[in-house]
Amino acid sequence: MKKVLEGSHAVSEAVRLARVQVISAYPITPQTHIVEAISEYCANGTLNARFLCVESEHSAMAAVIGAASSGVRVFTATSSHGLAYMHELLHWTSGARLPIVMADVNRALGPGWNIWLDQTDSLSQRDTGWIQLYCEDGQEVLDTTLQAFRLAESVNLPVMVVLDAFFLSHTYEPVEVPDQEQVDQFLPPLSPRIQLDTANPFAIYQMVAPSAYMEMRYNIQVAMEQVTSRFSEIEDEFEAIFGRKHGPLEAVQCEDAEIILATAGTTASTCRHVIADLRDKGEKVGLLKLKMFRPYPTDQIRRHLGHAQKVAVIDRNFSFGASGIFAQEIKSALCNTDVRPAVFGYVAGLGGRDVTPQTLEEIYRQTKTSKIPKDESVWIELNQELVESWSN
Amino acid sequence: MKKKQTSKDQLPLFIPRSNTSTQINKTGSWRYFRPLYEEKTAPCSAACPAGEDIPRIEMLVSQGLFKKAWETILDENPLPSICGRVCFHPCEKACNRGELDEPIAIHSLERFIGESAISSSKSADLKKLPNNGKKAAIAGAGPAGLATAYFLSRLGYQCDVFEAQSEPGGILRWGIPAYRLPEDTLKKEIKRIEDLGVHIHCETPVTEALLQKINQKYNALFIGCGYGRPIKLRIPGEESAHDGLRFLHQIRTGGKVALQGTAAVVGGGNTAVDVARTLKRLGVKPIIVYRRRRQDMPAFEPEIERARKEGIELMELLTPIRIEEDPGSTSKSDSSFKMTLQKMKVSTKEIRGRARVIPYGEKTKTLQVQHIFIAIGAEAEVLWHLPSAKNNNQLTLSHSTIIEQEIPVVFGGDLTNETKRVTDAIASGKQAAIALDVYFKKGWDSIEESLVNCRVGGGPALSMAAYLNEERNNRKPHIVSFDEINSDYFQSAPRVISPTLSPDQSVRSFSEIEATLSKRAATQEAERCFNCGICNSCDYCRIFCPDVAVMVEEAERYINLDYCKGCGICVTECPRNAMALEEEKK
Repeated sequence: MKKVLEGSHAVSEAVRLARVQVISAYPITPQTHIVEAISEYCANGTLNARFLCVESEHSAMAAVIGAASSGVRVFTATSSHGLAYMHELLHWTSGARLPIVMADVNRALGPGWNIWLDQTDSLSQRDTGWIQLYCEDGQEVLDTTLQAFRLAESVNLPVMVVLDAFFLSHTYEPVEVPDQEQVDQFLPPLSPRIQLDTANPFAIYQMVAPSAYMEMRYNIQVAMEQVTSRFSEIEDEFEAIFGRKHGPLEAVQCEDAEIILATAGTTASTCRHVIADLRDKGEKVGLLKLKMFRPYPTDQIRRHLGHAQKVAVIDRNFSFGASGIFAQEIKSALCNTDVRPAVFGYVAGLGGRDVTPQTLEEIYRQTKTSKIPKDESVWIELNQELVESWSN
Repeated sequence: MKKKQTSKDQLPLFIPRSNTSTQINKTGSWRYFRPLYEEKTAPCSAACPAGEDIPRIEMLVSQGLFKKAWETILDENPLPSICGRVCFHPCEKACNRGELDEPIAIHSLERFIGESAISSSKSADLKKLPNNGKKAAIAGAGPAGLATAYFLSRLGYQCDVFEAQSEPGGILRWGIPAYRLPEDTLKKEIKRIEDLGVHIHCETPVTEALLQKINQKYNALFIGCGYGRPIKLRIPGEESAHDGLRFLHQIRTGGKVALQGTAAVVGGGNTAVDVARTLKRLGVKPIIVYRRRRQDMPAFEPEIERARKEGIELMELLTPIRIEEDPGSTSKSDSSFKMTLQKMKVSTKEIRGRARVIPYGEKTKTLQVQHIFIAIGAEAEVLWHLPSAKNNNQLTLSHSTIIEQEIPVVFGGDLTNETKRVTDAIASGKQAAIALDVYFKKGWDSIEESLVNCRVGGGPALSMAAYLNEERNNRKPHIVSFDEINSDYFQSAPRVISPTLSPDQSVRSFSEIEATLSKRAATQEAERCFNCGICNSCDYCRIFCPDVAVMVEEAERYINLDYCKGCGICVTECPRNAMALEEEKK
């Protein structure tokens, strides 16, 4: 049934349909409506689950770790500082091989205090062993959240579903909300591979000596390497039931493109319009929408971008002292190939600033007119007046 | 080539996991300190003259075990329904909860427990020793005499109570107005004492002749005849004034009194306040005339405040010196009196903590009233004056004096108590009963030592349960202070407010002012109790033990010393100081 839903509530609906058994969350800013709706479902009996309201995000993750260790399906959601506060336990989750699903709403980190869109919170959790999936619209949020449970439970790794603050989390769109029956068909109850049992006690996660630690880490990577193919199988099954597919990456008119814009989240939506306009004007331009960030789909990145002359990466994030994070990753994916495009990095729309079609056209124009990138990153649409004000 | 896998295939999962038990690691060998369960004394219990086990009583109420709570009171106090109403609850002043927000409404809970037992006609399962063949005579069926009979019966004595009045109860029956203590409640509580086998002989005053007979036929005598003789002002014209206590007696006998106009009530004690409030209910305008100031009044503060709210005027620092009949009055019905009052002032000196007042020069004031009531105190009848000579056959205790004569005689109640409260009278009865029992079992010289062993928190209150060697005997005398409560476990919650008639409503009749708590309100209020010093099975010791060394078997907790490292977390977490940590002696 189609419903007009906020992006946040698209997550909540998916959690309800996934019959999650334990949800834990810290309910204060930067938290979003995601857990608000879920807590109501728990309170009114729509969802038969235990909602644990804890005192911090660190505890929220600790609580779902505990619950997941007892073999139940769990969920939590957070944002920016909350995610940063969870950092330690993000490592724990992947090391513990617990199939935890979390939604992260991309919000800026302070100071200056800012709760608008910025991808740095989730991207700085790159090395925690979480699968990361960036979504473009409400429908993709709902679908990806459902798929995330299948994926997590299939490889015993945690999955982070990521959505843009406000542009997606607080925007209402028509979303197809599937029937419970269909979802049950797609997502059976969890058959846990890790389940503490008082009847048959054992200990988990204790000390590991140097003689085995490295193999344990390698075992995580072995699972990570299976994610791309498993995600694709899961998407096929999803498509068979629901008739929709989003893909780990989406290449739009990339086959013959000379310049490809690469970006994630709602900016991809704006890009779709911009490249359509530019194509109308005869420009050979394409879009690569980046969805799966971990594991990094290196082979597919190479396949889609390898033939282009130039790639313009739009990063709504920044790694200080280096460059935009998506740009780094693309460069890294391409560097061992013989034929590769020049990679232009653009930093735009931090802290909720708009990235308009004009912004993207400007990025395209600069890329087209430059032979090679002058800098690792170009900061787009900086307010020169402000920049000069602190120089004087 | 890596084998192609599908999403249905299980991936290898390599995580740290062990089926080996850690029980082989007996961490108990690391221990330098040893935790133990050690119950201590709650401040309320120590402050209660009857030494009631209040933290356990409130715990039982919070668990809905009302009958058990009632029996726990009855261990120490035969009159819960009465004391819940008329006791001025020193326990609440001592309550540790008062440091967090407000004290537990212990008196309201006591009344609730007493009332729910009465309304469900329960009979108590109390420890009662078999008949030991000894007989005790008790002079006076007031609270002290009734308590003595109650406790002695439970210790196996056959008791006869001799009462001068037509009904038992003493001050409870004749001196406390119905708006504070309904007659029905009193009768039901006394009935339960009679059911233990106590015989109450009314209209049988203890005379010299009866004393002779008692000496021959009984093994012991308790004298609790109270203060029945009013103290006089000794001023000219006093014969026109009524005695306050006698007036209350008259009202409680059911005597119809038609009064009107204004009445002066001279005095500052509970009787004066009760007389004034009774007059107010009869349609008279009472004025309390007191020689000191309000803050010096020996009446209990809540009663003074209630009287003020009922519109009763208080004139301070005035003492009557002369009463004259007003020549203007024509008949007896509208006779009026002129009372000359000496103005008083506060001297800088104090006597026993109270301000001393002295006449303010020659300054006087006159007061025109229709009635005068004197309520400045009472004293014992001459027959009940304690022998003055102190010798080695007389033992003065906190709430009684025991004399070894032909038969042992104990003076108690108001005759010996410094504070003349109902619960002190009960304490007196308990002390007398235990002292007599020790006398018969172990002899005169053992009395003091045996009493010390059943003290509550090392104070004057005695515990019958401790005397009868029940579990309470193991409790340490240390009184738990607020600092020793882990207040992190308690959230601020308001004290229950008993449903109460407004002052306007209350002065219209003798209906009881305060109502009994509902079951729900009582349970909630009992849940506020810290249960200082006793284990209420909250289980925090077990939950927080990092070594799972706190064991529970058949609701009893113990420490598994094979694994207890002596970290002390259980003791620190115990919200109510029911545990202790002691050094391990190796």
